[in-house]
Parts: sequence; C-alpha cells; structure tokens
Amino acid sequence: MNASAASLGHDDHGHHGPVLQYQPGLPLSRGKLIMWLFLSTEIMFFAALLGSYVVLRFGAAVWPKPHHVHLSEPIGALNTFVLICSSVTVVLALEAARVNKRSLAKLWMLATLLLGSLFLGIKGYEYSAKFSHGIYPAAPRGMIYERPDLYYGSAVRARLGEPAIIERMKELFTAPEAALRPEEVAGRRSLKQVRDMLQSPDQQAFDLAVVADQIMPLPGDSAEGHGHGGGLNDTFPWLQLPMVIPGGNMWASTYFLLTGFHAIHVIVGLIVFAILLLYDLGPKRAGMIENAGLYWHFVDLVWIFLFPLLYLF
Amino acid sequence: MSDSSSDHHAAAAHGPVTSPGASPEDIGHGPDDHHGEGGHGGLWQYLAVFVALCFLTTMSFLTYSPYWPWRDEPQVGWAFMMAVSCTKALLVVLFFMHVLWEANWKYVLTIPAAMMAIFLAIMLIPDVGFRNRMVSQERALHMARGSDLKLLEQAAAGEADHDGHHDAGHVEHHDH
Repeated sequence: MNASAASLGHDDHGHHGPVLQYQPGLPLSRGKLIMWLFLSTEIMFFAALLGSYVVLRFGAAVWPKPHHVHLSEPIGALNTFVLICSSVTVVLALEAARVNKRSLAKLWMLATLLLGSLFLGIKGYEYSAKFSHGIYPAAPRGMIYERPDLYYGSAVRARLGEPAIIERMKELFTAPEAALRPEEVAGRRSLKQVRDMLQSPDQQAFDLAVVADQIMPLPGDSAEGHGHGGGLNDTFPWLQLPMVIPGGNMWASTYFLLTGFHAIHVIVGLIVFAILLLYDLGPKRAGMIENAGLYWHFVDLVWIFLFPLLYLF
Repeated sequence: MSDSSSDHHAAAAHGPVTSPGASPEDIGHGPDDHHGEGGHGGLWQYLAVFVALCFLTTMSFLTYSPYWPWRDEPQVGWAFMMAVSCTKALLVVLFFMHVLWEANWKYVLTIPAAMMAIFLAIMLIPDVGFRNRMVSQERALHMARGSDLKLLEQAAAGEADHDGHHDAGHVEHHDH
C-alpha cells in the first residue's frame, strides 16, 4: 500500500492533475492498525484467563502457599527483570533503526532475542523443578492429592507396592548404615514406618496426615528451604510418592495454563525477532520493528500481572 | 509495511490527508512533542522508565520480604501489588508502546478493549461469591478444606515438638 502511496506522492510534484489518493481510515499504517486490533483481542484473551484464575483462586477454600508448591519468588522477580530489560532493548532497537544505525539496531535486537531466550530458560528451569517434585497439571503424572484421606493412603500404598520401588526399598533397607548419608538413615527409618503403617493399617494408629507430612512436609510461612522440607520425596527422589497439597491440583492447572500461554507468546515473539534479524534494520524496517515491539511489550505487560498474581498472592 | 517517510512526503505535497491537515506521523507526534526527529522518547526517558519499572518490581517484591508491615492482612499486600502492577502496565503502554504520543485513534482501540476486559472480570465476580455456597456432594467429598491444611500443620508441629528435625519421631509415637 505504501509503495503506491509513495509513488503517487512523488508523481504529484508538479506535472499531473488530481491524483487518486489513499486515505487511511485511521491515521496510522495498516500493519500497526492490525497489530493494535490483534493486541486488543489479546487483552480480552488474557483478561479472561486472569479473571478465571482470580475466580478460582479466591473462590477456593484452600490455596497452596508459594512455598508449598516450590515456587521461588526471587526467580519470578528475576524473570520480571529480564523481561523488562528486553522491552527496553526492543525500544532501543527501534530508535536505532529510525536514525539509520543499522548495526546498533541489530545489536539491540539480538539482545532482545537473548533476553527473551533467557526468560524462557528460567521458565523451563522452574517447570523442571515442578516436574521433579511431581507437580504436573494432571494425572497420571500429577501426584498431588488434596486431602490426607483414604484415597491418598491407597495411592501411597499402590506406589509402595510397585515392583521397582520394592526393589529399591530392599536395597535401601539392606544397605549398611555407614554407606548412607545421615538424612538417608533417618529417612530410611521413617520410610519403613510409613510402609508398615500403610500395609497393616488395622494394627496401628493410623494417621494419614502424619504419613503425608513424612512424605512431603508443607513448610510454614517462615520456611527457609522454599519447600525443600526434607520429606521422603526429597531424601529419596526415586520414591516419588503421592503427596498432599490442599488446593494443589487447581493451583497446578492454573499455573501451567497461565504461564504456558504466556510462554507460547514469548516463543512467538522470539521467532519474530529471529526473522527480523535476517533483515537490514534501517528506517525502512522501523515499522516492522515497531509492530514486533508492540507485541513484545504486550507480552511483558501480561507478565507484569502474572508475576504478582502467581508468585506473591 | 510502513514506509512512513514516504507517507509523510505524500501528505506534505497534498495537504490534508486527514482532517487537521497533518500527515499520520505529524498527528502521531502531536503539537507538544518536544522530542527530536529521532523518535518519541529519547534515551534518557526510556532509561528513566526502565529505572521506574525496576523500582516498582522491587516494590511489589517488598510484600514478600520480612520488612512488609502488613503480613497478617494479605489483602493490603494484594491491593498494593495490583496498584504497582497497574502503574507498571501504564508506564509500559504509555512510553514503550508510544501510546502517549499517538493520535486520538488510540482511544478507539484501547477503550473498547479495556471495557470488555473489565466487564469480563466483573461478570466473573458472582462466581467467587457463590462458589463455596453451592457445592455438589461429589465436590464436597473431595474438596480440600482449610481444616486439611490445619491437620497437616498439626502433624508437622507435632513432629517438630518431638525432636526438631525430620526423624521418624511422630510415627514412632503412634507405634506404641
């Protein structure tokens, strides 16, 4: 469109009569208009997601504290910082492209790409930390139970009855004490008791809250370990016993949905930046950079709300 | 996509493209645009916004630190964090997305979207209110309750009373 507008404009310097002229409905380029329209639909998309999160979060009878689900606030804050930095670099890339500093623009663009990748990397690290603790959005991998009831007890018993686990436990129980770390010695004793308690519940005092606490204790507010409370699941990572986190399943669903959709948006942004890096980033590409930047700032914007809602509430 | 400089020339040659006799770019900049040709903000301004954003992030992080005085009333922290987030969002939209310097078309796009988002959120509010009043039997059976958390905390506390570190203390207690 602009190519024709440009040629018309230049043709008109004198020799022709009235020339048909392109008149935009809104005084901005078509690409930018479409980007803004797209962003306004995105606003509604994320408003719906965040709104339902708030409904579920505040409608829930119990919601896990960040420490219960191994969320690390400093890491979340670091990610916020990384994303803010990347927003600044994309703005600087645009400014550099406008004044025809092509290599500088490319450098800032590259910095944006790297910062965005860093964000994704940190997010991936966080996800893997959740997965290693058995926190998944859904069964069968998710091992979160809401309450220490009989369903939970039978799930723990089923896990302890798996042949592979029986084998590992046999190894552990027969190992000489000198070969084990002190917490493993203590854990071994507690594991034995948990197993005995679950396998012959009629003969002993049967408190599943205590079992749950042995497997994965829920740290209190003042916990320094960020959820690494030293339960059986932490001492013996291969055990992967079901654990009790009241409200944990709903938490996992909303957490992975919200951060997952955000991460998809980040990935799309990174692809756009990678494509932009192939071009010569002069004033002619300023419009493209601006549109990509608008999108990226929006992604930043979503995280600005996600961070406190997910990590600090 | 947007060779804006040629748009500019075309408009300058023709006179009015849109009503006030200015090219899209001129409208975009507005009469009180005191910045240079290079762009909207200027480096120092972006830097100031960046510092402000970092400062605000630290502020919302403050609610997590032990220095936050309203630990017992989480609602204060929530309101504070939302205020901080809205401020940050406003800074990003106004400066980084250049909305501050855009023409009036910005209202055409942002106001309806913002209204839809707000209405959407408001329409969800009854759900929060009713959620715990009308619970199916099925859900009531499996729903986690505050009492479950208390139960677990008691279990943890009992263990801490017993011997301080994660030993099999409490389980042993039950054995006898």
